[in-house]
Amino acid sequence: MLQEIIAFIILALAVGFLVKKYFFKKKKSSKSCSSDDCGCH
Amino acid sequence: MINQNINVALIGNPNVGKTSVFNQLTGLNQQVGNYPGITVEKKIGFCKLPNNVKANILDLPGTYSLNASSIDENVVIELLLNKNDKLYPDVALVVTDVENLKRNLLLFTQIKDLEIPTILVINMADRMEHKGISLDIPYLEEQLKTKIALVSSRKGFGIEELKKLIVTYKTISSEPCLNASIIDPEYFESLRKAFPSQLLYKLWLVITQDVNFLNLERKEIHSSFTKSHSDLKRLQQKETIKRYQFINDTLKVGLKVDASIAKDFRSKLDRVLTHKVWGYVIFFLILFVIFQSIFEWSKIPMDFIDSSFASLSTWAKDSLPDGVLTNLISQGIIPGIGGILIFIPQIAFLFLFISILEESGYMSRVVFLMDKIMRKFGLSGKSVVPLISGTACAIPAIMATRNIENWKERLITILVTPFTTCSARLPVYAIIIALVIPDKRVLGILNLQGLTLMLLYLLGFGMAIFSAYALNKVMKIKSKTFFVVEMPNYKLPMFKNVAINVIEKTKAFVYGAGKIILAISIILWFLASYGPGKQFKNAEEIVKAKTESTALTAVELENEVASYKLENSYIGIMGKTIEPVISPLGYDWKIGIAIISSFAAREVFVGTLATIYSVGGSDNDDTIKNKMAAEINPATGEKVFNFASGISLLLFYAFALQCASTLAVTKKETNSWKWPLGQLIFMSGFAYLLALITYQILK
Repeated sequence: MLQEIIAFIILALAVGFLVKKYFFKKKKSSKSCSSDDCGCH
Repeated sequence: MINQNINVALIGNPNVGKTSVFNQLTGLNQQVGNYPGITVEKKIGFCKLPNNVKANILDLPGTYSLNASSIDENVVIELLLNKNDKLYPDVALVVTDVENLKRNLLLFTQIKDLEIPTILVINMADRMEHKGISLDIPYLEEQLKTKIALVSSRKGFGIEELKKLIVTYKTISSEPCLNASIIDPEYFESLRKAFPSQLLYKLWLVITQDVNFLNLERKEIHSSFTKSHSDLKRLQQKETIKRYQFINDTLKVGLKVDASIAKDFRSKLDRVLTHKVWGYVIFFLILFVIFQSIFEWSKIPMDFIDSSFASLSTWAKDSLPDGVLTNLISQGIIPGIGGILIFIPQIAFLFLFISILEESGYMSRVVFLMDKIMRKFGLSGKSVVPLISGTACAIPAIMATRNIENWKERLITILVTPFTTCSARLPVYAIIIALVIPDKRVLGILNLQGLTLMLLYLLGFGMAIFSAYALNKVMKIKSKTFFVVEMPNYKLPMFKNVAINVIEKTKAFVYGAGKIILAISIILWFLASYGPGKQFKNAEEIVKAKTESTALTAVELENEVASYKLENSYIGIMGKTIEPVISPLGYDWKIGIAIISSFAAREVFVGTLATIYSVGGSDNDDTIKNKMAAEINPATGEKVFNFASGISLLLFYAFALQCASTLAVTKKETNSWKWPLGQLIFMSGFAYLLALITYQILK
């Protein structure tokens, strides 16, 4: 039973990781302008 | 980032050894990985200086001047103009090459005009004696109003002195070494009066460049001080001439070259390496040796890693208490991770060779050689750099197109770069080649497997050029850009630089793809271990009833049950659904699942099959390669990975756009979904058709 719970937690983490990676954009850490298009031009 | 650290910016022309100085200062304390040859964005490292001073070292993209013409050059200007940027330099190190001081000093004089404390780093000083060069350092320091550090980043000398000099940055003059306003005193005077609190040269850069300048109202400057485009260009030319006059006068006294001592080994070698016939012959011979070596040298470590993971999987199964988690570890996680780590030797050897070619200065000659071919296909030489960088990864290669000024040329390069063989394809190629191409020699010396790998690389490059040609015809590019390639001196590759590069790239490969592979392996294991309906639940009874008449051993029965369960699991049902689409290509449903999951990243292909075969069989003690080799198609009774299906798979992976990140970066760089979707449909559609035709002919 315990093994099953841990396995499913790991599964949920794996799904969460992929969803975050492919469906949510990373927040920018810097407010300054670099080579990224920050929209300030 | 720690606030009390001082910011040190490394600035300079391309190929003056900025990254080598960066490596010497930071060692392995680097935050951002990059790819060989080109620094497209800011790269940050950390360094401890004397007197317990800590520094953030910024390696900026190479630029010839502050008159930016491409996006990567803008990175430098935007940083230098934005005092609010947390990485705004406290001190700038302008790195120059002792043999190209005159050209390199143009940028130096511009940065001095921005009134940032600036140290002139004269690199490759170890070559001075050999080249008959002598410098009058006190005179140069006085004229250029700076401190000079003579260093050799290759031999490591002068680095400690440079560190000591950086600490004293507050005492270094920030006074400009020439007055740029003399090009049009009246205009500059009115500008100064209008913005008395602003630095004059900054204002001039804002007017002439398309850069961000936070503290000023750009529109206000433009409306009040508008000049025609041609007038501005004329003034810029005048500025450059003034700067070169100053540099010439300074170097006339400060730099002496004894021509009788200088040897002309470089031009002799260049004549051979860039020869219109021998240049290509030598390049292909080098490629040939590289791909032969990748296969030959990697065999032993790869077999070792493969068998170690197989043993680890068995050990986990036998040692851990029975249960779901143990199955997940032994059948999902371990085979999944093994599926990526097995390729470390090949990836490391590939980057070892690329780094050596870059470090030695040969890669610039290759770019020059390839430029001649590219022009015939309607691309500029600047497209060569992303295409060659694409052998590492398409993502930074696509970002490297930022230095192509012409939008259409840039777009074509972005669209065709994913055809070049990236390192993520290597695991797929390596395992399929090992399965379907015999490990034998042709003509006594040529390894057939290595030869196949080389052909696949050439095929990718050829397809990229052919597609560029076709796109060029369709899009009707009229304008051309000029291409200037720096020909650095030939050097013996520095072990430290090569080692850092190999470690950095291999780490990026393992961690970048590794996390995705691990997550996908876990999900795949779940989908392969659970299924809906009675058929999955009652698999054992159904198989027993079916095989009642045949006398099966316990192991055989276990295999039959595992195989039946897999077919009726979630993944089995999904695979069976798509099977009609992929079976004409010679693939079974398991390969179909691997193709779908590897859309996240190509390397996932092998890990997926390793997980599926582990769940579907009882023998965990076998290697991935052996499991794939033993896989039989129940419908035909033939091996799943035979010559026809293997070649079909190789061609599919050579051309299909199996990389979600490439799509994302293309969208980002083109600012539209139209181009990445077109890229996906064309590349994957073409790959499907070619794989279909190939299989149908070869089967």
